[in-house]
Amino acid sequence: MSQIEIVIDEKKYAAQEGLLLIDLLIREGLKVPYFCYHEALGADGNCRMCMVEIEGQKRPQIACDTNIKEGMIVRTKGQMIESVRRRILELELINHPVDCAICDQAGECKLQDFYMDYGLYDSKIDQAEKVHHKKHIDLGSNVMLDQERCVLCARCTRFTSDITKTHELGIVGRGDHARVTTMPGKKLDNPYAMNVVDLCPVGALTSKDFRFAQRVWFLTSTPSVCHGCAKGCNIFIDHNKEKYKDERIYRFRPRPNADVNGYFICDAGRLSYKELQENRQLEMLIDGMVSKEDEAVACYHKLVADGGKIVILADANLYTEELEAIQKYAHILGAQLCAPLESYRDESFGDDWLKSSQRAANAKGVEKLGIAQILSTDPVALLINFNHPDGSKIKAQKSIHLQTHQMEGKADLVLPLAPFSESSGTLVNEDGIEQFCPKAIWRNEPLMSAIEWIDLLQGGER
Amino acid sequence: MRECRIVSQKFDIYQSHKLDIAKEHGAYSSLKDAFALSPHEIVEIIKLSGLRGKGGGGAPAGAKWALMPQDGAQTSYLAVNCDESEPGTFKDRQIISKDPHLLLEGIIITCYAIRSHSAYIYIRGEYSQFAKILQEAIDEAYGAGILGADVMGLGYGVDVTIHRGAGAYICGEKSAMLESLEGKRGHPRLKPKRPEPEWYFGNPTLVNNVETITTVPYIIKHGANGYRAYGTEQSPGTLLFAISGHINKPGVYEAEFGTPMMEYINRYGGGIRGGKKLKAVIPGGASTAVLTAAEAECAILDYEHMRTIGSALGTGGMIVMDEDTDMVEALKNLLEFYHHESCGQCTPCREGTGWSDTLLGRVLDGKGSNEDIDKILELAKTMDGQTICVFAPAVAIVIRAFIGKFRDEFEARVNR
Repeated sequence: MSQIEIVIDEKKYAAQEGLLLIDLLIREGLKVPYFCYHEALGADGNCRMCMVEIEGQKRPQIACDTNIKEGMIVRTKGQMIESVRRRILELELINHPVDCAICDQAGECKLQDFYMDYGLYDSKIDQAEKVHHKKHIDLGSNVMLDQERCVLCARCTRFTSDITKTHELGIVGRGDHARVTTMPGKKLDNPYAMNVVDLCPVGALTSKDFRFAQRVWFLTSTPSVCHGCAKGCNIFIDHNKEKYKDERIYRFRPRPNADVNGYFICDAGRLSYKELQENRQLEMLIDGMVSKEDEAVACYHKLVADGGKIVILADANLYTEELEAIQKYAHILGAQLCAPLESYRDESFGDDWLKSSQRAANAKGVEKLGIAQILSTDPVALLINFNHPDGSKIKAQKSIHLQTHQMEGKADLVLPLAPFSESSGTLVNEDGIEQFCPKAIWRNEPLMSAIEWIDLLQGGER
Repeated sequence: MRECRIVSQKFDIYQSHKLDIAKEHGAYSSLKDAFALSPHEIVEIIKLSGLRGKGGGGAPAGAKWALMPQDGAQTSYLAVNCDESEPGTFKDRQIISKDPHLLLEGIIITCYAIRSHSAYIYIRGEYSQFAKILQEAIDEAYGAGILGADVMGLGYGVDVTIHRGAGAYICGEKSAMLESLEGKRGHPRLKPKRPEPEWYFGNPTLVNNVETITTVPYIIKHGANGYRAYGTEQSPGTLLFAISGHINKPGVYEAEFGTPMMEYINRYGGGIRGGKKLKAVIPGGASTAVLTAAEAECAILDYEHMRTIGSALGTGGMIVMDEDTDMVEALKNLLEFYHHESCGQCTPCREGTGWSDTLLGRVLDGKGSNEDIDKILELAKTMDGQTICVFAPAVAIVIRAFIGKFRDEFEARVNR
């Protein structure tokens, strides 16, 4: 395919011949409304919103079914094309309940957006004349359906038929009685089901987990990488800080990355945000008793100074930078460092798409740094465990645990550690792709990352 | 006006759907001639004959056949469209119940011409009785060695399978029909950018109307010029015109293209019922623009002429309306049909058919306004040319013709 030039709204653009016009419009950030088209699902041509004017064509054409050709002259603006969009949009809204005030999609709804862009007319139909369908249907897998809000773009049904190939969702009925549903008695049931919530451009499919928890315009999105397994799916962490309270995460959303996860994430990863807010280790404990920082640091130095063989365990979910710091620190202490990866393997979890059986997010990073993976069974004098799940398996006379979450087993000293959302760093996914995660969550009383702890313990300032 | 019997030759013969009776009257006699020709030669004859698709569109059949791959490297199919659901159209059911063997004969020749060994006949779900007759004919043909691995010992195999639809008008649209035949929802497909065959499970497929295929044996027997002896230069041959409504003799009668409409209505339809005056005619199935009596007076039944008077020949299924007809009620009847039958894929059609029906309902109930009538016309504009298939544009044509030609009747309802 050769590089060609086309003109859109009197401006020249270079692109690959045969590329879908809508892809070019999206890529160049030109405004084009659409419901049914999706980069992962391709064109379906049913919503008819992405109409553009093409010189030489008698009628407006849909951009999602137009391949670009040399010398093509396209107009996305102008009275004619805008009136076409406006009239089609009016039809989309005829049987829509217009219940934005109580709709969870409000704020990220394409119908709302396009109405503000192209609509702005008064309703000409009485509520009584609208076609009514079922509301709040629990489809299963945390997905709720409101058939009246649906624009029948078929993204969800195409996702289950083309992507997961599980075929749970379909459209039944004809004309304005068409609606999305499952087979009688069947549920939406696959490990990727909640992606239909993101795919849905309107409020027809909402997440049972997220809905009514927060208005989306209060949320801040920070790009990150899911720590559910070694795949390293790109996500957005959507979070909000209410006054005086600690900042909270409300949901994970997939962040498109063609090299890693495409446009989707698995439900397990999506819901893993909950773990970041439950059962957290927030206090410093000496022999199980809450203590202050200076006491804890003094206790730490005493335990280390008592001498004997030291083993350091490192969690394979830690960022590469943290692992490096630990590696250096182990060298200084003359301690044996290991990060057994076998502990994270879960064969029941993996599949041939986005879910990996290696559930440690930075397993590849551990391998790259050449950190030992054999767990020593010999008794040791002191164990310093940076959040590795197998800390209790080591026979140690004394133990220090730096942990993000409360763990079973006793430790002489417990220090709280910041989880990935509260620090920043790099991960290497199972395919060797390095990905950076910025810090997303700022607590009122911030926790320290492994690097910060090591700095402090080596005499640095907090 | 000449009598012509190309497709309807055996319609009046008692039990003509039985194989032995059909054979007595010449069924399958064209096969020998056909197999003496090469597939390419048959396609050329069809092209020369000027045969046009008889399902409503009137596109040249030969050109469509020529799109099929000629090397036979890939499995190909013939899909015969018998999803006859257009209001006012009921010609195909006559063929499959009165002369199914002529259809099978046409199928065998067509399959040979496009190098296909399997044909599917997609029959409208409601035609259960007619499907049964056709199935019996197919069974008889298999029994007699006419269908199957070796057609009449001519060394070519053809299998014919009936598929009954589930009752959706849209499945008469060829790509929706193939979707339905593949076991999916009958939704029209996006149209290809350049001429190409249809696709059935990824294989090239020819889709033709029942009557088109049934015309093929005559053309093979009498040659392209034999067929061109009827009709006009651009619309050669004949069509099974159907006539219904306020007339004395509703039915299906074959006539050549170029026949004046009134002559047809008076001679075959037996004139307007009760000696009443003619008010309007829908010329070619519900989806063509309605003609006023004055327009019908000078209408001539061929594709070109009907287009010049702003309508279309369509399927040739005429619906005749006398002076007592309420045009508002008549349009409401049609809009209810389109509202019920829109497949619901494209937004303008899914919502436009429903809303225009609702608005016209307001007008009929005496609760409407002139604004409602204008809104219906605006909806027609939105539905025209902005959807995947031609369903919505057809609704737009119907609305514009009815309101445009009989606006005073609509306004009278509003001002009541």
